[in-house]
Amino acid sequence: MTTSPSPTYSMAMPGKRFPRISLGILLVLPALTAITLLYALPLLRSLVTAFRDNDGGWTTDHLVRAFSLYGRDVLFSIGVVSAALVLIAVISIAIAGYLVLGTTPWAVRFLRWLYRWPLFIPFVVSGQIARSFLSTNGMMNGVLIETGLMMSESAQSFLDWRGLVLTFAWKQIPFVTLLLAGAMAAIDRSHIEAARNMGASRLRCLFGIILPQAAPTLWVGLILSLVAMLSVLSVPMMLIAGNPTMMTSMMAHRITYYGDYGVANALGLFSYALTAVTAWIYLRLTLRREVAS
Amino acid sequence: MSTEALTLNDVTIDLRQKRILENIHLDVAPGSFTCLLGPSGCGKTTLLRAIAGFTPLSRGDIRLGRRSITHLPPEKRQTAMVFQSYALWPHMSVGENLGYPLKLRGVPREERVRKVAAMLERMELGGFESRTVTQLSGGQRQRIALGRALIIDPPLLLLDEPLSNLDAAIRRSLRSELRRLQKSLGITTIMVTHDQEEALQMADQIVLMRGGHIVQVAPPQTLYHQPADLAAARFLGVDNTVTRQTSDPAMASAATTFGFRTRDALINAPQHPAMLTRKGRVTECVYTGDGYQVSLSTERAELCATSATPIAPGTFAVVQVPQSALIPFGPDDRHLPPLDRQEDIA
Ligand SMILES: Nc1ncnc2c1ncn2[C@@H]1O[C@H](COP(=O)(O)OP(=O)(O)OP(=O)(O)O)[C@@H](O)[C@H]1O
Ligand SMILES: [Mg+2]
Repeated sequence: MTTSPSPTYSMAMPGKRFPRISLGILLVLPALTAITLLYALPLLRSLVTAFRDNDGGWTTDHLVRAFSLYGRDVLFSIGVVSAALVLIAVISIAIAGYLVLGTTPWAVRFLRWLYRWPLFIPFVVSGQIARSFLSTNGMMNGVLIETGLMMSESAQSFLDWRGLVLTFAWKQIPFVTLLLAGAMAAIDRSHIEAARNMGASRLRCLFGIILPQAAPTLWVGLILSLVAMLSVLSVPMMLIAGNPTMMTSMMAHRITYYGDYGVANALGLFSYALTAVTAWIYLRLTLRREVAS
Repeated sequence: MSTEALTLNDVTIDLRQKRILENIHLDVAPGSFTCLLGPSGCGKTTLLRAIAGFTPLSRGDIRLGRRSITHLPPEKRQTAMVFQSYALWPHMSVGENLGYPLKLRGVPREERVRKVAAMLERMELGGFESRTVTQLSGGQRQRIALGRALIIDPPLLLLDEPLSNLDAAIRRSLRSELRRLQKSLGITTIMVTHDQEEALQMADQIVLMRGGHIVQVAPPQTLYHQPADLAAARFLGVDNTVTRQTSDPAMASAATTFGFRTRDALINAPQHPAMLTRKGRVTECVYTGDGYQVSLSTERAELCATSATPIAPGTFAVVQVPQSALIPFGPDDRHLPPLDRQEDIA
């Protein structure tokens, strides 16, 4: 747009060059302003708040206090999220793999129809469903006892870290599967057929040919899921009563009961750090792939 | 693994309730080179994919050597297929692509490396192991795909238009290279093509297909000189047909139609009674490199012939075709005399 004015033109009116460049800036300005005001500034502000004391001086107090008070919750969050991510990865690979490689047409069609449902259910409702499904007198235990698979005395509540992992996975698997199945379907059919022709079973095909080509998409899905899980408040609030719990719960607690934005923002910082590390790993992986090819 | 014969018996295929192939019988001798030839959409790829196990049969049987492979999944069939798109895996290097079939068979690493190097050497791509496949030219990709198929010593090689993505010059050189390689390995090979010249040059046996049926199975010479029917003849470049007249050469007494190729028809040659002769007005004369192709409008048909010198449109000319170049067809448009059953299976 602002590039390469013809030589005669710029020689004749050298003074015009500057306004033409600023016109370009003018064009991106609305978008730039929106991003700055709506995203960059609040983010920066919350980062800064994490390092400010009440008098406006710089401090690492919040960070230290956040970690001493909620260190266990941070570790708990990392544990829950990691377990959920592993579960999400395994199951979405299995579903997407079956959608691409399955040979029973009706089963593939049925699965394609079925797996998306949780996508349309909000986290709050997922939490509610999980509550009534996983509690001591919930549906899961009810069914297990009814069918005689479990004694009623040994019924226990799953409303702890296991409930969180299961609920997060249940909510995020369809999303990651949707992305992954799309990426897998985009792979040239002949790549799969060539592998099978060379003697690869369907399972070998999945892990040797399909997954390596769809892996970048899987990473994107997992990182987005990580961000979603770290920012959901309703599910941990509904499923977990005591300690330890997810960082989001503690942040909300800190703000609503103490008005303590410093510690809350310090906890937020841990979340950023966690997603940043994952994103960095992802970028490293994809960059290496691009350099190699 | 030794090379094996392939037998198709009554192979019938339906895709989405539509009959694609019907009643295909075919015998392929061990070590031979067979071409599946036919117009677009006639079912060549479908037949090849059925042999490789990617398309289920509705009926019939496929045998490799003595064992039936009809109900085996693709990975158990031991057929090696080269895809039209080559289907090289982009996330693997050239060496890994070639080595993958060996890896699947549990060949130890050192042996794999050795075999891959030897195969690359054979394909005249020595030292290409660590290249990525996206860095290869079309011809190089083609050879890697071929090498990947051959590295496991398969009993049967299936090629789906392996040369059609390449430009004419490479195609010609690869044709003879491929044929030489096939002969030296002695591997039973089936190649799909819609290029009759390619089929005639390379094949021991050509399977001419049309609309899901086999029209004719014959060696190249037979197919070229005695196409089973008029439509097959047209596909093989017989672009002129004339209705028989009493003055025509006294061959194949039951023939009602003669077909001949443009290159066999001479313009204004010395008159000869043993030749088929037609007179007509020249409508067009174009230079083709070897000479001139002359179009004439005769009493009953439009004909084409070749001439060494240009002929002005509008003038009258005489077309003559030697008896040996005439292909006789009966009233049902089938070749005369009828070809023996062995060659004409459909
Ligand atoms: N998966 C499919 N489902 C339904 N019909 C199909 C399918 N694949 C191919 N066909 C049909 O089968 C017929 C034969 O197709 P095929 O690909 O075997 O032709 P071909 O001889 O290889 O043609 P070409 O020379 O153009 O490659 C075509 O009419 C095609 O429309
Ligand atoms: Mg085809």
